Amino acid sequence: MRLSFKGGIHPLRERHEGKNASKGQPIRAYIPQSVCIPMDMHIGAPSAPVVAKGDRVKMGQVIATAVGGIGIPVHASVSGEVVAVSQKQLLGKNPSTCVEIRNDLQDEWTELTPLGEAETAPAERIIQAVRDAGICGMGGACFPTHAKMSLPEGKSVDTVILNGAECETFLTSDHRLMLEEPGRVVDGLRLIMRAMKVSRGFIAVEENKMDAVKAMQEAARGREGVSVVVLKTKYPQGGEKQLIEAVTGRQVPSGGLPMDAHVNVFNVGTAAAVADAVILGRPLVSRVTTVTGCVKEPANLLLRIGTPVQEAIDAAGGCSEEPGKVFLGGSMTGIAMPDTSMPMTKANNGIVVMGQKEAVVAPPTPCIRCARCLAACPIRLNPQRLKELCDQQDYAKAKKEHVMDCIVCGACSYVCPAKLELSPAFKEAKDKITARRI
Amino acid sequence: MDYAAILKAVAALGGLGILFGLVLSFADKKFAVPVDERFTLVREAVAGANCGACGYAGCDAYAQAVVKGEADISLCTPGGQATLDALAAIMQKESAVAEVQVARVLCQGETGVVKPRYDYKGPKTCHMAVSLSGGPNLCNWSCVGLGDCVRVCRFDAMRIENGIVVIDENKCTACGMCVLECPRSVLRLLPKAARVTVRCRNEARPKEAREACSKACIACKLCEKACAYDAIHVNNNVARIDPAKCTLCGECVKVCPMKCIEQLP
Repeated sequence: MRLSFKGGIHPLRERHEGKNASKGQPIRAYIPQSVCIPMDMHIGAPSAPVVAKGDRVKMGQVIATAVGGIGIPVHASVSGEVVAVSQKQLLGKNPSTCVEIRNDLQDEWTELTPLGEAETAPAERIIQAVRDAGICGMGGACFPTHAKMSLPEGKSVDTVILNGAECETFLTSDHRLMLEEPGRVVDGLRLIMRAMKVSRGFIAVEENKMDAVKAMQEAARGREGVSVVVLKTKYPQGGEKQLIEAVTGRQVPSGGLPMDAHVNVFNVGTAAAVADAVILGRPLVSRVTTVTGCVKEPANLLLRIGTPVQEAIDAAGGCSEEPGKVFLGGSMTGIAMPDTSMPMTKANNGIVVMGQKEAVVAPPTPCIRCARCLAACPIRLNPQRLKELCDQQDYAKAKKEHVMDCIVCGACSYVCPAKLELSPAFKEAKDKITARRI
Repeated sequence: MDYAAILKAVAALGGLGILFGLVLSFADKKFAVPVDERFTLVREAVAGANCGACGYAGCDAYAQAVVKGEADISLCTPGGQATLDALAAIMQKESAVAEVQVARVLCQGETGVVKPRYDYKGPKTCHMAVSLSGGPNLCNWSCVGLGDCVRVCRFDAMRIENGIVVIDENKCTACGMCVLECPRSVLRLLPKAARVTVRCRNEARPKEAREACSKACIACKLCEKACAYDAIHVNNNVARIDPAKCTLCGECVKVCPMKCIEQLP
């Protein structure tokens, strides 16, 4: 029996989660002519730029230093000349500071200082190395990894789970990474385990990627404390709390963090980046991103951080029809982009182009109380009741009914036959409750 | 016919009724909660809209706070001068002249005036719209026109017209709920007597402001020069009027090249 959690959905089951188009495509590198690197890719204070227009930078050179305790530095993802340091309106609410670099195509690395091999690198220096490499959660949340690895006083962790579930529709970037470079992933896991002094590590993969499971099992053979577990194909299997429930049977308490269940979860891409940072001394300058949907040649591209999304789409052969929406991320949790000239960031695991027909959203109709959302909710909330409260702006009551535990996975909206905008309403409620301290 | 059974039943039920009546009347005296008689009066004097303008959970909570002396008597804005006078009389405090305020829209970004950034198709709330890439309008300070404020207004004083919110001054009670709700802070509570307002908050550089909107303040300072009373000043690329100094002469309105200063009748 495959490991799983209660609730959840199986989106696009008849289309193999939309993954067939790109899952057979090997990772290939794409080198952009220029990059635009935002300073606020991670959660926490934006980094402070230390380069100016006209400066020459090498690949991997620090272009912005970390600000605050959980901040991380940002590195040049290409070698070349800085052409601008300016404010740009990206996907966020407010404009972001961006450093634009014109690529000289030399790919000249700055001086790198490796720490050592996976089993021999000094454990106490790993966390600092991860911070210096500017690594943040590459599954989409972009929480700085070093901050996740350093536990506050009084908390303990006995298990590390690498998240290779990739339950999000369309995306295959983690799949290809596990298939092609399982060694790096396992090295990264061992480094994280050693730095956090944890003896048990799991690599969790959904059963629709059995080839990746085999590759990971092969690579994990003989490594201390590492085992591969197979999960049921279900959304949101890769949600942190769902994954912990599926793998360890423990539940993260309401309002708590994974460490309250004595578990820490990292994305497989993050683990690979940790391995690069420690073993090769390389900072995070590129990542695997799936470009799929209505593109001529769906692909898994190794993209430099700051590559314009339009260039990535062109690298995948361009759009095969007039695009209706372009998602940064998969179709469940991705953000529809207003403008494809924006750059991709450390968290962008996919670019999904949707045709105009597919992108049409049906207008919402009244709730018929079918309770499908209740069955789908992985947190076991009551979405239809919460939606009522949100419509009445009764956020105090919504908080009592645990709207703050909603992970905004969109499962309820997906199954709703009335096409109600359930999860966006909960996101709004969460934002407002936090902002107004209700 | 056996009347005894009927009599027994009547006597039993009647007896129980009398007994309960006695117990209740005893309890009413014995466990009576003393209510400040002023509470009833205060509760009747306040507006009774449960709008939350005073910051309390509702009119009952506010009335209680007033009676206990915890709350100021001037907080019920929907009640206006009448409530203030009544509360002052009940609480034996001095009444002041309430400054009549209204909510004003500091934006003229109607459809066609402010340029669109993208075609927004998401959930129809201002909050969600502004959180995607700075909002559907090119101006990051503009009214999005999806009506978050209209939904919280309890006095039917707001409506959306031409992609922007319009306030009915006669219905607005200055409860301030819309001001709290607006994700862009486009709405402000201003004195009703301040008839001249700069209807723009765009703090971007003049060039960018002009590109984004045809009625944006471009910080040209012509209004500052035209004002003989030192009432209007440009700070952070946007003009602001000090209502205390403004004499409503209207000189600034005449010189503004962008027509972003408005004089209400």
